[in-house]
Amino acid sequence: MKILFQRKKFIESDFINKFSLNNKNSGAIFSFIGKVRPKNQNNKVLSIDIELYEKMAHFQIKKIINKLMKKYFIDDYLVVHRYGRVKPRENIVLIVVASQHRKESFRFGEGLMDWLKVKATFWKKENFANGSEWVDQKETDKKFIDFSL
Amino acid sequence: MKILYFAKLKQLIGKSEETICIKQKKKISQVINELKKRNDIYDFAFKETNSLQYAVNCEYVDLNFVITDSDELAIFPPVSGG
Repeated sequence: MKILFQRKKFIESDFINKFSLNNKNSGAIFSFIGKVRPKNQNNKVLSIDIELYEKMAHFQIKKIINKLMKKYFIDDYLVVHRYGRVKPRENIVLIVVASQHRKESFRFGEGLMDWLKVKATFWKKENFANGSEWVDQKETDKKFIDFSL
Repeated sequence: MKILYFAKLKQLIGKSEETICIKQKKKISQVINELKKRNDIYDFAFKETNSLQYAVNCEYVDLNFVITDSDELAIFPPVSGG
């Protein structure tokens, strides 16, 4: 049950394999990876800079995890999110969840990711050849979150 | 009281944090109005206060939330992680 914020790039399989080994009695392992797209509306993205308010991001992620754990029975979770400079096609975020049955993991993972998008204090700035631009929060992201939690 | 700025707001104001002294309880909106009076930079940065988000001690709050000198106030644009 870990939340990690790191500058260093990571290979998802390193985390997923270790997580799976640590949860050998679980019947389902869910994983989600969010990556940097190489283009945004036909503009080539050279890199993105991710700013982090670490204390609050940790607090907010833990808060939703505690709520989701009351709703779904899971065995374990792992959240990895990068900050600092990230290049196209690299991983930004990884969520891994272990449970006895698949639906618990799916729903927990989806609920966690939806909240992370609108509550966890990270900000992305895309760097292009002709300048940089802060990424706005998508209105659609707000529609996905379950306010009953 | 410590005030933290992030992302575009930090860029506009030119600093990531500052400490101000508030002698009595105040609404966040009152603190911002005082900051706006400092100079044009603050006035511009806080032009659209409804498009910013506010957190006190890591919990999201709104502009009417009352803060004290021992609180940590964070002000930032809507988040865009993941």
